[in-house]
Amino acid sequence: MNVSDILFYFLSALAIGSAILVVISRSPIYSVLWLIVTFFAISGHYIMMNAQFLGIVNLIVYAGAIMVLFLFVIMLINLNTDAKPQKGKWLRLAGTVAGGCLLLVLVAALKNTEVKGMGVQVGTGDIGLINQLGKALFTEYVVPFEISSILFLSAMVGAVVIGKK
Amino acid sequence: MLRRSLASLGMTNTSSRHPEPSEASVRDRRRIKERIMENYLYLIPALPLAGFLILSLLGKNLSKNLIPVIGAGSVIGSAIAVILLAIQYDPENPVRQILWQWFSSEDLSVAISLSVDALTIVFLFVITFVGALIHIYSAAFMREDRDYARFFASMNLFICSMLLLVMADNLVLLYLGWEGVGLCSYLLIGFWYEKPENSRAANKAFTITRIGDTAMLIGLFMLFQEFRTLYIPDILNNVSQHFESGSATLTTIALLLVGGAVGKSAQLPLQSWLPDAMAGPSPVSALIHAATMVTAGVYLIARMHGIFVLSPEAMAIVAIIGAITLIIAGCSALVQTDIKRILAYSTISQIGYMFLALGVGAWSAAIFHFFTHAFFKALLFLAAGAIIESLHHEHSIFKMGGLRKKMPLIFYTFLAGAASLAALPFITSGFFSKEQILGYSFGAVNGNPILWVVGITGAFITAIYTTRLMVVVFWGEEKTHVSHLPGPAMTLPLVVLAILSIAVGFIEWPHNLMHVAVFSDYVQNVLPATVERENIAPPLVLQGIAIFMTLFGIYVGYMNCYRKPIWKANNYQTPLFQSLRNFWFKGWLFDDLYNNVFVKPFLFITTVNRKDIIDKIYTGISNGASQLHRMFSVSQNGSLRWYIGGVLAGILIIVTIQMIV
Amino acid sequence: MSNEQLLALLPFMVLAGASIVVILMIAARLSHTAIQVAGFLMLCFTVLAMGYVRDILPQEILPLFIIDGFAALYTGVIIFSVGVVGLLSYIYFEEREENPKEYYILLFLATLGAAVLTISRHFVSLFLGLEILSVSLYALIAYLRNRNNAIESGLKYLILAALTSAFLLLGMALFYMETGSMEFNAIGQKLAGSDPGVLFKLGLALMVVAIGFKLALVPFHLWAADVYQGAPAPVTAFIATASKVGVFAVLMRFSLAVNLQQSEFLLNVFSGIAIASMILGNILALRQQNIKRLLAYSSIAHLGYLIVAFLPGTREGIEASVFYLFAYAITILSAFGIVTILSTRMKDAEDLSVYRGLFWRKPLLAAVLAVSLFSLAGIPLTAGFFAKFIVLLTGANYNLWLPVIVLVLTSVIGLYYYLRIISTLFASAPAAEPRHKPLHPFFHFVTYATLFVLMVMICVLGVFPGPAIEGIRQFLMIR
Repeated sequence: MNVSDILFYFLSALAIGSAILVVISRSPIYSVLWLIVTFFAISGHYIMMNAQFLGIVNLIVYAGAIMVLFLFVIMLINLNTDAKPQKGKWLRLAGTVAGGCLLLVLVAALKNTEVKGMGVQVGTGDIGLINQLGKALFTEYVVPFEISSILFLSAMVGAVVIGKK
Repeated sequence: MLRRSLASLGMTNTSSRHPEPSEASVRDRRRIKERIMENYLYLIPALPLAGFLILSLLGKNLSKNLIPVIGAGSVIGSAIAVILLAIQYDPENPVRQILWQWFSSEDLSVAISLSVDALTIVFLFVITFVGALIHIYSAAFMREDRDYARFFASMNLFICSMLLLVMADNLVLLYLGWEGVGLCSYLLIGFWYEKPENSRAANKAFTITRIGDTAMLIGLFMLFQEFRTLYIPDILNNVSQHFESGSATLTTIALLLVGGAVGKSAQLPLQSWLPDAMAGPSPVSALIHAATMVTAGVYLIARMHGIFVLSPEAMAIVAIIGAITLIIAGCSALVQTDIKRILAYSTISQIGYMFLALGVGAWSAAIFHFFTHAFFKALLFLAAGAIIESLHHEHSIFKMGGLRKKMPLIFYTFLAGAASLAALPFITSGFFSKEQILGYSFGAVNGNPILWVVGITGAFITAIYTTRLMVVVFWGEEKTHVSHLPGPAMTLPLVVLAILSIAVGFIEWPHNLMHVAVFSDYVQNVLPATVERENIAPPLVLQGIAIFMTLFGIYVGYMNCYRKPIWKANNYQTPLFQSLRNFWFKGWLFDDLYNNVFVKPFLFITTVNRKDIIDKIYTGISNGASQLHRMFSVSQNGSLRWYIGGVLAGILIIVTIQMIV
Repeated sequence: MSNEQLLALLPFMVLAGASIVVILMIAARLSHTAIQVAGFLMLCFTVLAMGYVRDILPQEILPLFIIDGFAALYTGVIIFSVGVVGLLSYIYFEEREENPKEYYILLFLATLGAAVLTISRHFVSLFLGLEILSVSLYALIAYLRNRNNAIESGLKYLILAALTSAFLLLGMALFYMETGSMEFNAIGQKLAGSDPGVLFKLGLALMVVAIGFKLALVPFHLWAADVYQGAPAPVTAFIATASKVGVFAVLMRFSLAVNLQQSEFLLNVFSGIAIASMILGNILALRQQNIKRLLAYSSIAHLGYLIVAFLPGTREGIEASVFYLFAYAITILSAFGIVTILSTRMKDAEDLSVYRGLFWRKPLLAAVLAVSLFSLAGIPLTAGFFAKFIVLLTGANYNLWLPVIVLVLTSVIGLYYYLRIISTLFASAPAAEPRHKPLHPFFHFVTYATLFVLMVMICVLGVFPGPAIEGIRQFLMIR
């Protein structure tokens, strides 16, 4: 077990653990903070796969911009303890059972799979590099790249429509 | 095409016989004649149909003067068309007009097509001519009625359906006309629907005739199954190649057709609706329930004669039905008190004679009797209607009396009709037609002495009840005041019909007396000639006996109803006499019989099954569905968590199944 | 990318351009009427562009898109639906006087999303199309935010769509893991010959979630009634037609590429979903008093019927499904058209009591609604009957007896609630309400004319379906 493996398992455990904490935290602020930790862990994975650009972009956009936005929104609407939705005990139990069942079933389904020689080669590959990414985006995937801009347009218009006084 | 080629064939024959004169002109004349006839054939049913449409759509907005003009005018128009057609009619060339293809499936293709041959012309003439007279009569008779337009609309629709029935050359169209007349009969019996018993009578007539119609429909299905066509000439031409004489299938078909015929023609065992059908206005009784519709059964059997000729059993059954019916109905007529019911029973009895004639193979005699009967029975009903109207709607003959002096015109016309009904020798049409039937019931191949004796007895009974009717109504003292006398619109048809009921007989004499056979010659191309047996009693003797029985019947009637009325005699009150009278009065209790055998068990079943076991299944389904609806509606509770739960459950189910499989 | 490939994308570019045009017109403060007219013209241009590029089809734009007859047909149905929705929208939004203009941007963007789905042959384009559609729909559903249910139903749709999109992404990742490709054909080739592995099946099961959600198939249907009710009537019409057509198109293309129907298991899953949808949709609609909810349940059942045509995965199945979707689109559009036109400023005409005695007040509208309900119920001589009939025929040809029998039985149940509404239409009328003058006589006329044309189309397709079927066949030849 070399350093990469240790790092991989550490990052994975961090990602899963913090993701669980996002869900079970009582305060939304904590949830957002744990989410930031999750994003950091995922960026770590990107970097390990030699996709530094993606890793950095992930940090800047999600952990940086979006999460800060989230924090501000939560602080602005000022969720205090009274406004917190009262979840029943049974409901929580049911949610846990349902989620657990899903996890169980997915794990059971996937445990016997063999990946057909497509395992990720840690530390190699060049698709995540800025050069390759740019080439792919502007040649082969130019149409979806353009279309995704339309997706943002529609999100923008939607936000304006809903939000404007 | 076929007809064209036939015509050209006929033309070749003519030209070979007369080579010189006018080959072209003969051809031209034929073609022109053909074309003219073809061109107005459709008018005959279309005119009354147009009348019906106008009257039923605009009826409420038309003036009282215009309604009879349209109603009667359309029928008169089609009567004129029929007369023109009859003048031009060439027995060698039956006319056919295909209007359009009605429908066409794999091997059943039905055209709306009209055909006219001699048999049809006889019926056409009666329907339109008598129909026109009755329409004229009705114009005055129904004038005060609220539903004047509805009356004429229904009458016109009836005429149209009846014309379709007799002009149809395929059985589907015939069946359409058949059901059409049934519908109109229902509408007109229940014309005064506000009285519940009238509606009941209409329902009864409709229901009972439906039984026969159903049998007939099954017969049509079987015919189609055997011949793969319902075009009548094809069936008649092929039937002898298709079946041997006496084949069971053919007999079944024939009997099913007879089932339809007895329903419509009020013969045993489906006769009980006709007396009740007198609930309709008198012109309706005259037109539908005496002259035309009730003889549709006779028409059907005569039209499908090819089938019956090959089935002696069916012929015998027809003859027996006719014989029994004529006696039963005659006896019932003896004791009735309602003038229209007497006439109704006599109608059943007279149609019984026609069936008897058909059964023994005397085709043209049956049609001839239909022909004469239509005139005198229509006359009797119309006259009865006039009497009833003048006597404040009094139906009972025992409350009439003495009308000979008060209503002389009605008396003389009624007398002509009654004499014809009783078959007064040599001067009435009824005599000539009935004599033929009686002669053939003895002398035809299928005839036998028993049928003849029954026929003679029937003639005797007919003479008695006719005399009874005459003397009670027209002689004696006046019992009800005559309010008014019928006007010319009502008396004119009576006079015309009276002349005809006397005169039409002379076109067909008994062949041993004088050789005049206009009628049987006319229909000989259509109907097979009657085959007579060898070595039978001389016809003169038979005729003598028949004449004697008629005169004796008149004497008995005169003695028992006028000189010493039997209902005043001492022994009339004895239980035996009374129960017999009751038995006959109620039409041999057929209504009670059917009531006990069919209606009561049915009612019993429906009472037991009041909650309808079969229906339970359906209500169960619908209740179950609404239960399920209520159950599943709970899932639509609007809670987002619940919805997400639903999605997760879906995933779980699918993935789990995937793992198991 | 060659010129021809670029040209083949022209209709989609026009659609995208249309939204930009509307944005610019809003910026220039042009009136609602002008925007409506411009929008309609842009749609006409799209149709013209489709006709123009028809001859150069099919065009593949590797690796993401393929523009062939199949795509043209489904896009055609989408454009047709949007055209009708656009025509219906004018009066609806004009009467509400709540900035109706941005609505058209979103409508065009959603249309583009649905249209992109029809030409996708790659997970990336599938996801993009689906997201454009969904994101536009969130805003469209919540568009009239001052109404009670609008925000609520928009949020419900948002959360559920996000959830199912997550599952879709997981499914795609599993596919990629199994086959190393995200292109439909490549996946199909990788899988050909070998037994589909667990990853494939699991991935597909997860994808079914997202597709089933968009098509509102049981058990992912729970949102349908709430969203149909909460959304403005024209948007509901859009959800019921265009969005479903697009998603169904991509489902069909994917399943054809990977030979989905070869797998016994997936066939069973889809027939199970179809049967459940037919039964539940019809039963839920049974005693429903809210006509928008009722149509939502009826659309669940109808998508169930449609899946029966999808099951065989053959050319007949495609033909039947295209015809079915077209007939269904016409029918449901005319039904929602009536709802739209009867809606008042305060409230959509969703309560059944609004329709009591409609025939005596507005015979034309009642006739259109009656015909469309007859068509939904599958009464002969309507398009709906013939559509259902060929679906039935396709199913019977491939011995899918259980779904076929369920289809027939549930159609009978369905008859009940359609006839219930129709009988309401002819019930004795309440006191006539005062007639208020229509705000825009011209557009009222246009709306009525549109509805009338739709009714005539329902009848014509029901009586002479031959030419339409022939046209569909010819388009499907372009491949």
